[in-house]
Order: sequence, then structure tokens, then C-alpha cells
Amino acid sequence: MNVMTLKNIRKTYHMGKIDVHALKDISFEVEKGDFTVIVGPSGSGKSTLLQILGGLDRPTAGDVIIEKENISHMKDQDLAIVRNKKIGFVFQKFNLLSNMSALENVALPMVYAGVSLSERKEKARELLELVGLGDRVTHKPNELSGGQQQRVAIARALANDPTFLLADEPTGNLDTQSGIDILNVFHKLNSMGKTLVIVTHDQEMVNEGNKVVKIRDGLIEEVN
Amino acid sequence: MEILRETIRSLLSNKLRTFLSMLGIIIGITSVIAVISLGQGTTQNLTESVSSLGSNVLIITPGKTTIRSGSSSSSNSLNVEDANNIKNSAPSVKSTAPVLQQGFLLKNEDLNINSTLLASNNDIVSILNLELSDGRFYNTEDFEEKRNVMVIGFEIANELYPNENPIGKNISVMQNISNTLTRKVNFEIIGVMKETGSKLLYNIDTTVLIPFSTGDARLFQSNGEVAQILASAKSQEMSKPAQIEIDTLLYNKFGSESFNIMSQDAILEVIGNVTGIMSFILVAIAAISLVVGGIGIMNIMLVSVSERTKEIGIKMAIGASRKRILFEFMFESIAITFIAGIIGIIFGILLSNGIASLAKEYNLSALISFQSILSSFGISVAVGLFFGIYPANKASKLSPIEALRYE
Repeated sequence: MNVMTLKNIRKTYHMGKIDVHALKDISFEVEKGDFTVIVGPSGSGKSTLLQILGGLDRPTAGDVIIEKENISHMKDQDLAIVRNKKIGFVFQKFNLLSNMSALENVALPMVYAGVSLSERKEKARELLELVGLGDRVTHKPNELSGGQQQRVAIARALANDPTFLLADEPTGNLDTQSGIDILNVFHKLNSMGKTLVIVTHDQEMVNEGNKVVKIRDGLIEEVN
Repeated sequence: MEILRETIRSLLSNKLRTFLSMLGIIIGITSVIAVISLGQGTTQNLTESVSSLGSNVLIITPGKTTIRSGSSSSSNSLNVEDANNIKNSAPSVKSTAPVLQQGFLLKNEDLNINSTLLASNNDIVSILNLELSDGRFYNTEDFEEKRNVMVIGFEIANELYPNENPIGKNISVMQNISNTLTRKVNFEIIGVMKETGSKLLYNIDTTVLIPFSTGDARLFQSNGEVAQILASAKSQEMSKPAQIEIDTLLYNKFGSESFNIMSQDAILEVIGNVTGIMSFILVAIAAISLVVGGIGIMNIMLVSVSERTKEIGIKMAIGASRKRILFEFMFESIAITFIAGIIGIIFGILLSNGIASLAKEYNLSALISFQSILSSFGISVAVGLFFGIYPANKASKLSPIEALRYE
């Protein structure tokens, strides 16, 4: 089942008088349960693609269709709902809120989705257990290791049962062992049927993907 | 609900800054409450002392020339005849009392006290609503024979006759003839008035009354000229016609408007105007500190927005709408001013009561009305709203991509 389609995505930035074509013509599809890995050297347009996939930015031309819904011309407020419910963002630098506990961080997307307090707590606890942090719920981010923080972030990304998980260099800030832990978590999620889209340099990760999208100079070089 | 918890968390995470940003509003609301309650309390005090006269009382004074006792009669001075004339010819007027008035030192052996001496007729009793606790008022005989009899106020009785009944006792009025010469005029006390407090221009408790004829002959030598005439209309409704009738009578006599007729309403209006203007000016000054406080909050909120840019980016990325971010910051600034408002109201109540008890002798008193508390709440929330909008709007307009990139 197709859960996401990119059709002829172009993105052009206007830097003064010069137009920078970050993405020239990107098209690919993601099926449910896919473990998609997007790779490419820096400057290839990876970050731009990630922002468009994540609903943080709109393409200059082309369509982004998530579960039959075209999000490429959506209004800000609708896009926020898409980010909240359809996309689970995992950042390279974890991006947890420092003044909240692990549990509260995981529950935050559910706050925006209007889930009740008791339901939020229950679901957040389940998710933390799923990523192996059932005993760390009350810890603040600065009381957790990098790997643990990233697992909290993954739990947070899963909060509203998104269409797919979108990760940006999820192991980029971690030591090897923590990176392997994260990879194992992704494996576990994928085997549970979760759809993953991961942008990475990590060769380990590339080998894991059932679909690899290579990008260079704003174009798809290869899909396999 | 969650937004409230987040606000509290955010305010508590930087307590000193929160407190400092509240300070301006606290000071502003404190002064607004203090000014309003002192203003209202004092106005009420004055109003009560004026109203205690009854709204049918009129005060007639010569307008353009001042009258001194002993001066020869001029065309526009008031005299006893005018008082009688008004009483007899103005159908709406019930009674009139010509009044001679001067401050005198009173003596009983070694004890003495300053007082206001009023020489008038019997009508003053009904006009000023005076009541006796003991003895009697002067009668027609006292009046006709110019007897040296006196009715004294409550405080005078207390001060000069602390352990005895003053009725029938002697009391001396000390009249300064010149710098070196003081004349002593003895009176017999025939009545003591109940504790009354202030009535319009007089503090009845430190006032003494003597028959007009006696005062004219023994103390004032005014040949019937008076400083003022008090009149009362037959009813409250007849106060206005009475005023017109008196005006017509005196105008016919003088041929000019060289006299004033003041009614209670007119006095209340003047008091209301004066205290209203005073309150307005003071509240306006207090409002400046609210504006300054509001700008302070705006400043803090702007700093907070730029400090939390990353946080805003994260929240947006995981699904917080712009509206949600706007509300979070609006809530925070309103919470600051709301709490500051509560503290300010408490301080304001304490301050106004403190000032009122320190300055009792100036007739200051504090009246904390529900209205002023409610409006202070309203003002503080409005300040939070007004000065919070710009920073909150700025936060909500951030681009999520750039906010996420912010370190």
C-alpha cells in the first residue's frame, strides 16, 4: 500500500538575484512497511528534501501526497496538523524540551492532538517501554545519555501513530554502541509494520534499508 | 489546561525574571488601588458630612464684598432683616437663620479649648438638625433679653467639664480686643449637644451656639449685619423653587448678583468635581507606571521569545500550530500581569488603609470597592494582553525551519 508519493518535486531558493535549485526533479514512492533510506553527499539537497517530506516547507513545484492527501499547497494550520498526526520527526540532535521529563516530552504531540491527560500518560509510558526506557519516564533530558535521549525522541515521534517516521541523521550525534541501539529500535519498529524514512550517512543504516534513494545535485541518482 | 501547566512551568523556571517583570505592574496596580480607594473614601466622607444637613438647606452669602464684623452696612451686605424677609416672603422657604460666626477661645477656670461660636436664632436648630443630650436650647426670652446663655458641643463639654455636668455652669469667651487686651465675656451653659461630627462647614462637636441678639450686642457689634444666612426649604422638592425665590428677593434688593446661594447639591457637585479631577490626575499618573510595567513585560517576553526560538521550532515541528504558540506566549504575559495584579491589589489595600490611618486628621479614609478591585484586575489582564500580543505574534510567525536551526 502506497503511503507517500513525491511527484516531480522542485525547490528553488532565491538568494538575491541568483536562483539556487536545491531540488530539480525528485519523484519516488514509499510503501507501507518500507524502510527507506535517503543518502547523498552534503549539498545534494537532502536537507531540503527532508524539510519538504516533514511538512516544514513547501515545494516550488510538484506534489507531496501523504495517504492520498496533497500537502504541497496546504495552509500553515493544516500543515501543522499533518506534522502532528502523520509525520513522526526524529532529529539528529534529539531536540527534546529540556524542562520536561521524558514522559512529558513523549506526550507533547498528543497535547497538540487534543488527547486527554490520562490517555496521554498511558500511551507515553507504553511508548517509552517500547524503546526500552520504561524505567526513565521521570528523567529530564539532561539526566539521560545521548542514546537514551534519541530513544525518547523516537517514542515522541510515535506518539500519534504517524503514517511514517522521518529521521534526520538519527545516529549522527551518537557513539557506535548507541547508534547500534537506535538501529535495533528502528528494526523493531519496522518489524512491527512501521514505515521508516531515514536520511543518513551511516553505512550500517544504508545496508538495513529495503529501499535506498541516492540523491546528488538535487536529482535522484539511483533507487534500489 | 496543559497550556496553563506549561505557563506555570515556564514562569517558575526563571523566578527572578518573572518577579522583576511583575514589579512594574505590582507598583502600578498598588498605586491605582490606593489612589482610587483613598479618593472614594474621602469623597464619601465629605459627601456624608454635606448630606447630613439634608438636601433642603441653602446657604446664602454676600458675594462680591467681604463683610467684617463692625463695618458699616453697605448696599450688598446681608442682615437680619434679609433673613426675616426671606422667611416671610418666600413661600417655599420654611425657616431662615442669620449666622454670625467667629472662632473663640473658651475657658472654664484653668481649662480652655478653641471653638467656633455661632450666634443665630432658634431656626438653626431645625436647619442643622441639632440634637441635645442635656439641657435646652435658648428660647424667645433669652433672645429678647439678650441673655448670656450658651449651648455647647459634645467635645467642649468633655474638655472643659470632664467630671461634672456643665448645665448651669459658667463658661468664658475670651475675645481679643487688641494684641494686648483680652476681654472676657461670661455665659451660662443651658444645653449640651449630642456627639454629631461634621455637618457641612461646621464641626458641631467643637461649636457653641448663642442667641443672635446676644452675639450681636456682646461680641460682634455688627448692627444686624451677618456673614451668612442659612435657609431651609419646606421639602427637598421645594429646594429649587426656594432658591429661585431667594434669588429674586435679593436681586430686587441689591439690583445685582452680589450674593451666592449654595445648595447642598451645588456643594456636592463642587466636591465631586474636585475629587473627580484629583482622582483622575492621580490615576493617570499611576497609569504611567502601568504602561512602563507593560513595556517591561513586552521587553521580557521578547527576550523570552528569542531565547526559546529553538523550543518554538521543535514544538512546531511536532505539530504545534501557530495559534498554539501564540496562545502559549499570550498566556504567559497575561499570567504575569494577572498574578502581579493580585499582589498589587493586596498591596494597594494595605497601602491605602495605612495612609488613611496615618492621615485620619485630614479627613482621609480608604474605601475599597468591589468595582476598583474588579477594574484593577481588568486593567492588569488588559496590560498583559496588550503588551503580550506583539512578542507572542512574533513567536508564532517564526519559520519552523529557521527556528529549528537556531542554537
